[in-house]
Amino acid sequence: MWAARRMASTISASSPALTFELVARCSTTRARASVLTLPHGPVPLPIFMPVATQASLKGLTPEQLEGTGCRLCLNNTYHLGLKPGQEVLDAVGGAHKLQGWKHNILTDSGGFQMVSLLKLANITEQGVRFLSPHDGTPMLLTPEHSISLQNSIGSDIIMQLDDVLVTTSPDKARMREAMERSVRWLDRCIAAHKHPDRQNLFCIIQGGLDLDMRRECCREMLARDTPGIAIGGLSGGEAKDDFCKVVAACTELLPDLKPRYVMGIGYPEDLVVSVALGADMFDCVWPTRTARFGNAITKHGVLNMKRELYAADFGPIEDGCGCPCCRPAEEEGAMGITRAFVHHNAAKETVAAHLLTLHNVWYQLSLMRQAREAIIADRFPDFVREFFRNLYPERSSYPAWAVTALKGVGIDLLET
Amino acid sequence: MTVDIPDGDQEAMRFEILGSVLKDGAAARLGRLTLPGRRPIDTPNFVGVTSRGVLPHLTPDNVSKHLQVSSAYMALEDFIEKPQQYSKRVPPIFSTPTTTKQGTPLHSFTAMPPSVTTILSARRLPAVPPPNGNTNDSISVFTSTGFQVLPTKEYLSAVQTLKPDIAIPPADLTHGPVAPNSKRALRMAERTDEWVVEWFSSLSRSSSSPQSTFAPVLPISHSIQWEYLARLAEDYLPSSQLHGLAFYDADVLPDIAAHTPSLVQLPLLSLLASQIQSQTQTPHHILRQISLGIDLFAIPFVNAASDAGLALTFRFPPPPHTTTTNGPLLPLATDLSLPESNNTTSLAPLAEDCTCYTCTSHHRAYVHHLLSAREMLGWTLLQVHNHAVMAAFFAGVRAALAEVEGGNDKFEVLRKEFALAYEPDFPEGMAQRPRARGYQYKSAGGGEGKRNKPAWGKLGGAGVDVDGNGEAGISRGGAEETTGGMANGEGAYARDLEGRGFAQVQN
Ligand SMILES: [Zn+2]
Ligand SMILES: [Zn+2]
Repeated sequence: MWAARRMASTISASSPALTFELVARCSTTRARASVLTLPHGPVPLPIFMPVATQASLKGLTPEQLEGTGCRLCLNNTYHLGLKPGQEVLDAVGGAHKLQGWKHNILTDSGGFQMVSLLKLANITEQGVRFLSPHDGTPMLLTPEHSISLQNSIGSDIIMQLDDVLVTTSPDKARMREAMERSVRWLDRCIAAHKHPDRQNLFCIIQGGLDLDMRRECCREMLARDTPGIAIGGLSGGEAKDDFCKVVAACTELLPDLKPRYVMGIGYPEDLVVSVALGADMFDCVWPTRTARFGNAITKHGVLNMKRELYAADFGPIEDGCGCPCCRPAEEEGAMGITRAFVHHNAAKETVAAHLLTLHNVWYQLSLMRQAREAIIADRFPDFVREFFRNLYPERSSYPAWAVTALKGVGIDLLET
Repeated sequence: MTVDIPDGDQEAMRFEILGSVLKDGAAARLGRLTLPGRRPIDTPNFVGVTSRGVLPHLTPDNVSKHLQVSSAYMALEDFIEKPQQYSKRVPPIFSTPTTTKQGTPLHSFTAMPPSVTTILSARRLPAVPPPNGNTNDSISVFTSTGFQVLPTKEYLSAVQTLKPDIAIPPADLTHGPVAPNSKRALRMAERTDEWVVEWFSSLSRSSSSPQSTFAPVLPISHSIQWEYLARLAEDYLPSSQLHGLAFYDADVLPDIAAHTPSLVQLPLLSLLASQIQSQTQTPHHILRQISLGIDLFAIPFVNAASDAGLALTFRFPPPPHTTTTNGPLLPLATDLSLPESNNTTSLAPLAEDCTCYTCTSHHRAYVHHLLSAREMLGWTLLQVHNHAVMAAFFAGVRAALAEVEGGNDKFEVLRKEFALAYEPDFPEGMAQRPRARGYQYKSAGGGEGKRNKPAWGKLGGAGVDVDGNGEAGISRGGAEETTGGMANGEGAYARDLEGRGFAQVQN
């Protein structure tokens, strides 16, 4: 199925609904630049994927989202399964049609939301069992249900149902069970998947913080030859050092010509380090959620626009930012939004949240675009160093986990 | 695209009446209002109503791209709050720098597209009634941090700093639901008269005042305010200081036309004096006021409809044949939050033949889903559509007025047809409101009940428009947290699971 072929300057591989083209590799780290072509068009990697949970990115029109350059966003299966529900999705013709989004969509399996939102959930071999908090009715989400829903959603990338545990769980036996069950559930998902010709089912590597278990899971999952691979179960409160070790252990084993998706990652420094470790795709609700609390992500850190400091600050949200909010009003399509205006309406009018959402999504996408350009120009280590210089005024305050992780792939952040 | 007006250009406002049914007296008329640097406004037309300087739910890029709004009503009280810890600070808006494209501090601060004309008043529309009323030299305003005294002199100086295109001098209004008694009405007229005299004399002393003044007409009988109105006609019209009238009750207009006909040659703007008026306003009222001669309308029901999940569906003239058949009356709006199949799975536009962004790029099923999921985009898409319906409505009115030549009064004929075709009132919206906008909807009398139902409660009867105690509506709306991945309150969805093929019930 995976026929790698060498082209003039690039190598690529295809599966029925996806082409992965490796464009460049960093000569120092494991970072890669590639083009992932999905049923709804090409997506340059590495990429941050904004999370449009309920088929809407928090007040942005699909047109505004498209304007940020986003070509792949997330919908959450759990939420769409509830509202509007499978029947409506089938009647309307899927999530693209529902939300008027011409580009690609990735959906999760819904299992993670079950476990994290419904406290009464437990997991059996059949699926995720839980009691309806409404009336105590026993309910069940199986791999087959999840795939059936994702088939109705019509997302370009669909995720297997996996057995998710917090990585920090001390129960080794349970961790192994979850890992092995996730492999078995992948088989059920593959068997249940009705549209492999137009939807790409990604496996999810589990195994907690145990690197051997992760490697074992990698081998099992790779044997199933899915068009893409996700590293799951992270961002659940583990130490950043452990997070980096898991990502590094997995990317080491993963094939070059498949996209690698680290689930639930969104802080800028996590993205930059994960790219250095060889990951390609990321998603997180943080950038859009923090916008609604009045926070702007900038290259110098997160700024809370609600602070009095910004009440009469007539500069842009971030100097030099290319988003439609920050560019001066004189430029075509720009709004010339000031910090003072965001401050004025933060937590008072939805527009302030929309503007910060727009800015934050732009920031995340632009960060990954810059990383990509740097990889292609083979100056990615410089990009990483500049990124940390901007973020931390003192070298001494660089986070140790990042220094260690980057050192492992050949970048010495502290070198003078 | 807007033409940038070079600095120092003091070109004045122009208003041309292009045609009217009658030459004298009050009558529907077609006009064009031109303000320096702004897109000319064909009248009759409507004014977008802002909250804190924004058209609710619409970022300025969406306003530029998708809204045919020619002007925006703004309230100074939205910009001058005094946070407790910073009670001495000068409101930041007063130090806003201007740019070549955004030539006034008001435009620059609010990032309002330069094509849009700004109209500044002291109070929001509708205004919260002040508990202590006004004094001889100040009005009471309501900011996000509470009631505040605004001296009329300070208001004038704010206007001079912010440079709105059109400014409305302070008026002594009660904003209450009941008409003032004659003693109070007389004082309203006297105070407003004094304030307007003070306004014009201060303006004439200052060198830079390119903005236009629309003097308030009070919601009291003509016989009580005739002296004030006569002064406007005799003193400030000849001196070209007065550029228009702002009516808090359009029914005074026929009397003004009879007694001081020169005043009705000015552009006439209709505002609303009370919350009750704004809650009961319909397109029928607007059409009636158009036939009285009103040129511009600030219409709070557009924002209110969007907040309530209503898509406006009326048009002017009404669709053919609707008035000759005995069918049911057409609704003025459709409630997209209702779980009916023509909402839930319909790929149709919100209103037939609508060409707005929402109707051409999206459909009823999506807007219904967004309302049901309490996603903020639902209100954004409704705002785009509802403003487009208003723009098309007024374009239809102008087209009818343009056909008046030859004596046959096309507009009046169509206005009657409209009255026969459409229901008298809006349906009450079922959707949960985006935010109770707590402070702005503070109730004066109390007892109106909460605006939003408790979260996840059964959606029952229609919400009431006024939020009793200003519950923390803002944090629930603006920073709404149904969100991404880890939403709260999801548990209550669980009942829906069964019906939707999401999970099977065991046993
Ligand atoms: Zn920006
Ligand atoms: Zn429309």
